[in-house]
Amino acid sequence: MDWKAYREALDALSFSPDFRERTEAVLRRRAQEQEKERSSVKFIKKPVVAAAVAALLVVSASAVALRLSASQVAERTGRTALAAAFEDNNAVAVNETVQTGDYAVTLMGLTSGANLDELNADLDVDHTYAVVALERLDGAPMGQVASGADYTVTPLVSGYDPWAVNNWTLGCSVDVLEADGTWYFLLDAGQLGAFADHTVYLAFYEGAAPPSAGKFTVAGDGSIAFAQDYPEEHALFVLPLDESLADPAAAQALVEPFLPGEDTAGETPIQESAPASDSPVLTIVPADA
Amino acid sequence: MRKLASFGTDETISRVVEQYSAMLLRLAAARLPSAADAEDAVQEVFLKLLDARPVFRDAEHEKAWLIRTTLHRAADIRRKRAREAPLDAIVEVEAPPEPGPELLDAVRALPERYAAVLHLYYYEGYSIKETAKLLALPAATVGTRLARGRERLRQMLKEDA
Repeated sequence: MDWKAYREALDALSFSPDFRERTEAVLRRRAQEQEKERSSVKFIKKPVVAAAVAALLVVSASAVALRLSASQVAERTGRTALAAAFEDNNAVAVNETVQTGDYAVTLMGLTSGANLDELNADLDVDHTYAVVALERLDGAPMGQVASGADYTVTPLVSGYDPWAVNNWTLGCSVDVLEADGTWYFLLDAGQLGAFADHTVYLAFYEGAAPPSAGKFTVAGDGSIAFAQDYPEEHALFVLPLDESLADPAAAQALVEPFLPGEDTAGETPIQESAPASDSPVLTIVPADA
Repeated sequence: MRKLASFGTDETISRVVEQYSAMLLRLAAARLPSAADAEDAVQEVFLKLLDARPVFRDAEHEKAWLIRTTLHRAADIRRKRAREAPLDAIVEVEAPPEPGPELLDAVRALPERYAAVLHLYYYEGYSIKETAKLLALPAATVGTRLARGRERLRQMLKEDA
């Protein structure tokens, strides 16, 4: 096979000579818009957060009251259609909190729909969006996001290995913003609704590495859990997806490139050893406890 | 390990666009029928990087994210085109596919699982191990996909002959 001809054919393609210049201009414009948005978020910070009680051991009702709503999080990332979707009847308010290490992770809510993201206008298929809040249990504010937004928020699907179906392979994206000492993660989980006939999870953990066999275990029935004694902060939620969104054919098309096929039978996933440590116990408490 | 600076400053925008445009355009062009489609896909990938602002461990992590996101975006465009095909059949097609040499056309026609590894291996010159890391696949999988992709190409080109 003549791979030199393949390389020459690609080299002969005529791309726009001003592609880089044009692209940089588009990106700078978008970055300026984002900066304006961030400035407005800082402006409306509430001073009452500074009076948070340092010894607070659970996510208090007052902390919940101070939180942005899922709709406000979407609004502050510039997605007005998505913000409206989080307000309508199809949105699901979850507000389930997991305490892990020194932090509380709250799955606030989720919604699904097409054309909800003005920043990615070419979405004419249903996408699922979820908002997660991260707060310190001692009431101290989280630092600025830029100082290390080193967390992963990823969907996982029962019946599929976490290293095969996750935020990387499904092409998800996450926006992170800080307001009133809380970090918010807005996850665009792509066409996750297609998997709604499975148990669909949302996993949160420290670090940016993709899901691996060191982090997760898969039971015989396909259910997924964090590895026993997983030492870092982590939380796992079940997403209450509307089963009517299930589309097994679309789901299969999405995962097909990442599943072990006939050519990969018997192969093992990339292994990652979990560092030993005293494992934090996960505690689920109602958000309004 | 030092993390890369967050994307979004003038400096990082220039660096990333300068460093990755050519590679990502070629990758997208190996999956899409025209150079214009490839340019649209890659520009959207950079916008997604700006919106998502993932924190990368190092340059390899950044490159892998860009490669996978480009493949996803190209797949989205192909799916969208496939859905729109019946409509296109009854209206004038604005941008017909650019005819290319047969091997490039054959690679474009392969499923992504094969085309991606063939392109990264034969065009970009990555080793099997490097390709595996970029695509988050076991090296053995990359090896078998290379072999099966080559075999499919041989069959396709033989049928066309």
